Amino acid sequence: MAGRPEGPLLAREEQQLVEGLLAGNEDAVRRLYARYARPVFTLGLRLLGSSEAAEELTQDVFLAAWRKAARFDPARGRLSTWLMTIAHNLAVDRLRRETGVTRPHLVLVDTVPEVPTADEDEVVLERDAAIRAIASLSDAEKRLLARAYFGGLTAREIAESDGIPLGTVKTRLRTALIKVRRANQDKERP
Amino acid sequence: MTCLDVRERLPELALGVLAPEDRDEAERHLRWCAGCRKESEDLSRATATLGFVLDPAPLPHGLDDRVVERVAAAAGRGAGVRRVRTAAASIVAAMVAVSGLGWGAVMAGRADRLEDRAALAEARWHEAIEDFRRVLTEPIPVGELSRETAQIGTLHATASGRGGGAVLQLVSPTITDFTITIVKGLDPEATERLPYRIQLLNEAGDVLKAGRIDELDADGGAEVFREFRQRDLTGFTTVRVVDADQTVVLVGEIGRL
Repeated sequence: MAGRPEGPLLAREEQQLVEGLLAGNEDAVRRLYARYARPVFTLGLRLLGSSEAAEELTQDVFLAAWRKAARFDPARGRLSTWLMTIAHNLAVDRLRRETGVTRPHLVLVDTVPEVPTADEDEVVLERDAAIRAIASLSDAEKRLLARAYFGGLTAREIAESDGIPLGTVKTRLRTALIKVRRANQDKERP
Repeated sequence: MTCLDVRERLPELALGVLAPEDRDEAERHLRWCAGCRKESEDLSRATATLGFVLDPAPLPHGLDDRVVERVAAAAGRGAGVRRVRTAAASIVAAMVAVSGLGWGAVMAGRADRLEDRAALAEARWHEAIEDFRRVLTEPIPVGELSRETAQIGTLHATASGRGGGAVLQLVSPTITDFTITIVKGLDPEATERLPYRIQLLNEAGDVLKAGRIDELDADGGAEVFREFRQRDLTGFTTVRVVDADQTVVLVGEIGRL
């Protein structure tokens, strides 16, 4: 992996990094952390509401990634996507487990981020692509996805809250995700 | 759950908000249905995108060291388990190969009479066990897996079943207990009997779930690996394989090598 400190990794580079993680190699863990810790921590902060909980979540995510490393397949998706999926699942599980956790605010795009390090270039590109993908949604679709993804609300909870049929909510969620997916297809692996 | 049922639930699964009971059932379906799995992966990729739109927060000082320490500690502890698991997988492969020969001979009709078939099957299983016994002590480091921790048993068909099987069980105070169950010769056409469930029983009649078989290969075979992180398997020596109607089709006892 020498010589390409910034920008998205190639599939074989991601595979090597994950193999390093699987072996418990410190350098591999630090490289993964440098690239992906910030979006993982940020997601934890937004979903769980405190720096302490987000820090704990970040540690749990890298530990879970180590446990699942043998199952990572670069042909089925990017490393960043895989880690964010792990992070979101762990955070939502925790939200459900712990009573009294304040529901997070539903904000999709905030202010300008602080200056990233060279290792975080990939994450910046991911963010740009994500913002473009979200822009393809209507305001109603943005709110709907935010309530499920950042708010942890099920389709039934949304349907009951808004007084609309459950099937309609499910269809709208699917339509919105497909739009995001389509908008994202041009940022697939280099 | 049909493909239609699963696809209706995939957006919520991707968003991480599907109810646990539905999630388990959908994930079981995704293990064997390539079409639904593809759609699930597409939606999951879209969902992961959402996590990147947030304004990045500064990382706490020293978190990198804490992450490295936790992974290193876990990797150190887990190394033994991983070696055992790898070794166990190769042993199982050897067992399957040997038992496959035995069943192949049975299926080829080399022994026609019922008693001969039973005797031949028995002999082949003894060969498999001997082979297992021989290779067991080689790849697994002394101290991590001893003869006291590894147990094996054979499964025999009840009047309601056919085929047979073998179970490898590890009961250890230092590494995660696990079972590996291999079945062979069940009826691959009898899909209505799926899923088969593997159960471990102790003398008190307590039952532990040791895995589930959702599909069989063309020879009516399957392999199931199950870890027991929170349970000690000591005393759970009776093994049963039951079909979807809870009818026992295979049964056996496991004992120390």
